[in-house]
Amino acid sequence: MIEQLDALLAQLDALQERALRELETINSSAELEDWDVRYLGRHRGELKNFSTLIPKLGKAERPVIGQKINAVKEKLESALEARRQELRDRELREALERERLDVTLPGRALPAGHMHPISRTILEVARIFTRMGFQVVQGPEIETDYYNFQALNIPVDHPARDMQDTFWVVPGEILLRTQTSPMQIRVMQTTRPPVRVIVPGKVFRHEAIDASHEAMFHQIEGLLVDERCTMADLKGSLARFAREMFGEDRRVRFRGSYFPFTEPSAEVDIDCILCKGSGCRLCKYSGWLEILGSGMVHPRVLREVGYDPHKYRGYAFGMGVERIAMLKYAIGEIRLFSGNDLRFLRQF
Amino acid sequence: MRVPLSWLKEYVEITQSPQELAHTLTMAGLEVETLDYIGTDWGDRIITAQITHLEKVPGSDHLSYTRVNTGSGEIGVICGAPNIKEGDKVPLALPGARIGDLTIGVARKMGYVSEGMLCSPRELGLGSDHSGIYILDPETPLGVKLADLLSDVVLEFAIKAHRGDLSSIIGIAREVAALTHKPLRLPEPRFNEQGQPAAELVKVTVEDTALCPRYSARVISGVKIGPSPGWMARRLLMAGMRPINLIVDITNYVMLEVGQPLHAFDYDLVREHHIIVRRARDGEEITTLDGVQRRLRNDMLLITDPQGPTAIAGVMGSAISEVNEGTTRILLESANFRPASVRRTAVALGLRTESSSRFEKGLDPELTIFGANRAAQLMAELAGGQVHPGIVDVYPQPVEARSILFSPAEVEWLTGLKVTSRQVHEALSALEFKVEEVSAAADAFGGEQLLRVTVPTFRGDIEEGADLVEEVLRMIGYDQLPATVPEGPLPEPQSDHWFEREYEIREILIGLGLHEILTYAMTSRQRMLNLLAEVNAQTAQVLLQKPADDGQAGWVIAGAQARGGSENGFASDSREPFDARSLPAVTIANPLSNELECMRLTLLSGLMETLQENSKRNRAGLRLFEIGRRYLPRGAGELPEERRCAGIALCGPAAISWVPELARPADFYDLKGIVETLLERLHIQRYRFSAAQHPTFHPGRCALLEVGVGRPDADDGERFTPVGFLGEVHPLVQQRYDLPHRAYLCELDLEILYAAVPERLNYAPISRHQELTRDLAVVVDQQVPARAVQEAIERHGGELLRTVALFDVYTGAPIPPGKKSLTYTLLYQAQDRTLTDAEANALQERIVAALAEEFGAVLRS
Ligand SMILES: [Zn+2]
Repeated sequence: MIEQLDALLAQLDALQERALRELETINSSAELEDWDVRYLGRHRGELKNFSTLIPKLGKAERPVIGQKINAVKEKLESALEARRQELRDRELREALERERLDVTLPGRALPAGHMHPISRTILEVARIFTRMGFQVVQGPEIETDYYNFQALNIPVDHPARDMQDTFWVVPGEILLRTQTSPMQIRVMQTTRPPVRVIVPGKVFRHEAIDASHEAMFHQIEGLLVDERCTMADLKGSLARFAREMFGEDRRVRFRGSYFPFTEPSAEVDIDCILCKGSGCRLCKYSGWLEILGSGMVHPRVLREVGYDPHKYRGYAFGMGVERIAMLKYAIGEIRLFSGNDLRFLRQF
Repeated sequence: MRVPLSWLKEYVEITQSPQELAHTLTMAGLEVETLDYIGTDWGDRIITAQITHLEKVPGSDHLSYTRVNTGSGEIGVICGAPNIKEGDKVPLALPGARIGDLTIGVARKMGYVSEGMLCSPRELGLGSDHSGIYILDPETPLGVKLADLLSDVVLEFAIKAHRGDLSSIIGIAREVAALTHKPLRLPEPRFNEQGQPAAELVKVTVEDTALCPRYSARVISGVKIGPSPGWMARRLLMAGMRPINLIVDITNYVMLEVGQPLHAFDYDLVREHHIIVRRARDGEEITTLDGVQRRLRNDMLLITDPQGPTAIAGVMGSAISEVNEGTTRILLESANFRPASVRRTAVALGLRTESSSRFEKGLDPELTIFGANRAAQLMAELAGGQVHPGIVDVYPQPVEARSILFSPAEVEWLTGLKVTSRQVHEALSALEFKVEEVSAAADAFGGEQLLRVTVPTFRGDIEEGADLVEEVLRMIGYDQLPATVPEGPLPEPQSDHWFEREYEIREILIGLGLHEILTYAMTSRQRMLNLLAEVNAQTAQVLLQKPADDGQAGWVIAGAQARGGSENGFASDSREPFDARSLPAVTIANPLSNELECMRLTLLSGLMETLQENSKRNRAGLRLFEIGRRYLPRGAGELPEERRCAGIALCGPAAISWVPELARPADFYDLKGIVETLLERLHIQRYRFSAAQHPTFHPGRCALLEVGVGRPDADDGERFTPVGFLGEVHPLVQQRYDLPHRAYLCELDLEILYAAVPERLNYAPISRHQELTRDLAVVVDQQVPARAVQEAIERHGGELLRTVALFDVYTGAPIPPGKKSLTYTLLYQAQDRTLTDAEANALQERIVAALAEEFGAVLRS
């Protein structure tokens, strides 16, 4: 009996060894299931065959064999489970490998649009001044002689009209506005101080078009009127604008000038953004760049709109948007703005 | 205004360097545009020389061969200028010298050897005169470097429109003196007067003293006409004028020096020796010194004698009494003319002169005597003239010096700059204002000291306190201004939201992949008519149509009423060939070119032209938009209507891409999708698209967009108002622009669009009850618009039908020809309970039945 027992135990060991060896060679889940049925199957599995022998064994041998069968079973089951997991992992790895993409191919994004640099510049300027309490208004682009000139202290036959060659619709009466300043008058005529507005918009000059002249361009007008504003406030406001627009270390310089609708008038320069004031071609070796014209609203203009010039004070300024954009983005030619070449527009 | 530094120094001591001086003046409002360093580029190879021999070059009509004495030898030079003669002293550029970009070398020409070049003033940078060689003073030493004799610095100013007094060397010197605290040294004209008094020799009648406030005349006899001395010619050249003859040069010299334009008549050619200043008669003619015959108008002022005009006052003289070789007696005019009149005349005649540009800025009537005397002095000294006693002076209303009561406190009130009364006093005195202290109580500006300021007559621009503030600021320095922040109250918010709205549209369209362009607001009628497949009076109307102002449905034709109330108001017979000029548009009276002759009526032509421009150099497709205005004419004398619009243009694929759907050329539904997304982003819920006809578009691929304005529950109900058309460009239009792909265009009226934007958004709670989904596939005739089917489904589905979405459109087998299949997914849900299948099925059946009845729709099996 002992011999029989030992033989059975040896057979079980051999079975276990064979099954484990075989398991290692298995590469698919189908083979794995086949192996499972062959060795561990509940009906005809090889281990089951041993179990059927148990009742034929002696009382003493039965538990020995039973335990051995269980030990082999556990061993094979855990080996199966480990192998199964291994295969699952490998199959997932292979599936992921098959799905590999070329992530360097361009994405399926819709191409982005771009804002015109003039619109972008106007928006930037407007944001700076709206943070200072200004409101944005717009006005008619086709104006009367009265609003564009006369109310701004530029009477008929005044030589200041030379500064602004005019496109006429009805000569002497209706024109394409040469400046955004007529909105100064329209705003003051319809509101009472305090006034704080900026006016962006198109303006027109009868000029031959070349690298630095356009027949249509854009201006931003600013106007502040209240009972306490001074030219020092003008300087402070524009210094803040210059810093926000052109960089924190920008310096602002005021110098004397003449505009018919301001008194005193000032030209405003910033130190050159390229050479920081040491002199270069951009600033014509002066170290300074002219950015806008400004001044205190002329008492005649205040009287024209019914404001008492001894009670109210105001400042006004006007800047060329193209000029600001050219300085800000180092653009050398004004014609690019109306040229609408996409190679240019896409850069903004 | 060109000011040679050497000339300026005659009237004021200058210790600053030219750059420092330019900076000082620029800061004070006299902007120095350029500093012109004359002679720095001459080097040592340009020297003085004398022509010793001159012969014509045989076979050439203009060249001559000269021998010139260089001081140390003689060389031969070929020269093409007409004005040289033997004995002239001239500038000579020797081989190796540089003239501009040219290096002088030894040249062989027509059998001669030329070893240098004689130079014109322009070649030397001495002004613009290139009519001949620069003839030097006879006293000039030979063989000397020209730079040692003639180098100078010229300051070039842009004189502002209000400061006629600065159009002179003395005017600039006065500012320099005030700004640098130096005395001004004015010339004092001294000369002997002898012979018959001027008053007996000449009579002056001023008929229009409004246009000619003062006319002063002197008579000088026995003058010799010849060339000017070298020093005077050189100053004229550097100031930008051309020497002509001594008498004319003296008048120009004094004008530059003093600022008073002068005119020298040949006394003997002034008929009856009688000057009459009067207005021209309409149509009267004069031939001016430039040889042009000019027709005059009644608002122009003339200098005449009893037989006719001799000069246009303040602008230009005529040949009739011009100084000439034989002139011996001079009638010297030193007058003052009304600025506006001179300007109007000069502009009308297109004749701007040194004289007119000074008069139009306003000159001091007190200046005429000084100018006349200074010229008389020079004519006596340089031309051997005899000055007759006295000045004939017609000056009925002498100007009175303006006096202003000025509070020094106004400086701080207006500028924030603290100044003392003493500083104000000093600043104004330096500028030759007379300042007296007046005691006063506190004034409007919080000051206690008042000044009575008497304005010099040459400062006609100074009228009130603010003007004096500027003068003080100029003297103390703009750089002294403090920088502060406005502390006043903020204004009430105002209601113009267009700035924000236009940027909202911009951001949306940019987000949809469109590039913003910005085209000229000026265009031509022809360029706009290019948008019409067939051009006639009927089709051209679309350029003028706009949504009805009162929010009523439909279009109106802009300006039709003003043009006579007929249906369209322009042209009549659509069979006649259409004349572009009859298209009403805002016309520019003085256009830059025929391409820019009027204001645009539409954004679409600019978009199409930009597509065309870019398609030449862009292989990817184009997606563009512009936000701008249409300018619609109204009645005569009225400002046009400016309507805010957005235009969109698509052409070709969205991108060059390996992704098929991006590489596909744009089609109608791409454009419509963009417009629908725009509507969605603006929360416009009530809108409709319908098939439409428009002469720009493909007749089967054009839609009209209308939005609902007003409220459905209001008394007058909801109305649909047109916003604009969108569609595929008609092939005949497309051809004209030579585009590689079909183009799609759209123009939206932003004012109507925003009228449909809800004032606030209404939130509906999300139902917690289950939703039921049913698909619905129906077969209908091809012609049935999808919108009609969808609207019918929505109508019959009622409240419980939450959403309807079309997810398939199919034609082809097994669908019969002429039919199409539309498949929708419908979602049913109640707000307050769970719907049963039976309820949803009943609704679904109701919809199917309705579609069958309305469109003959059958369920697709
Ligand atoms: Zn620089």
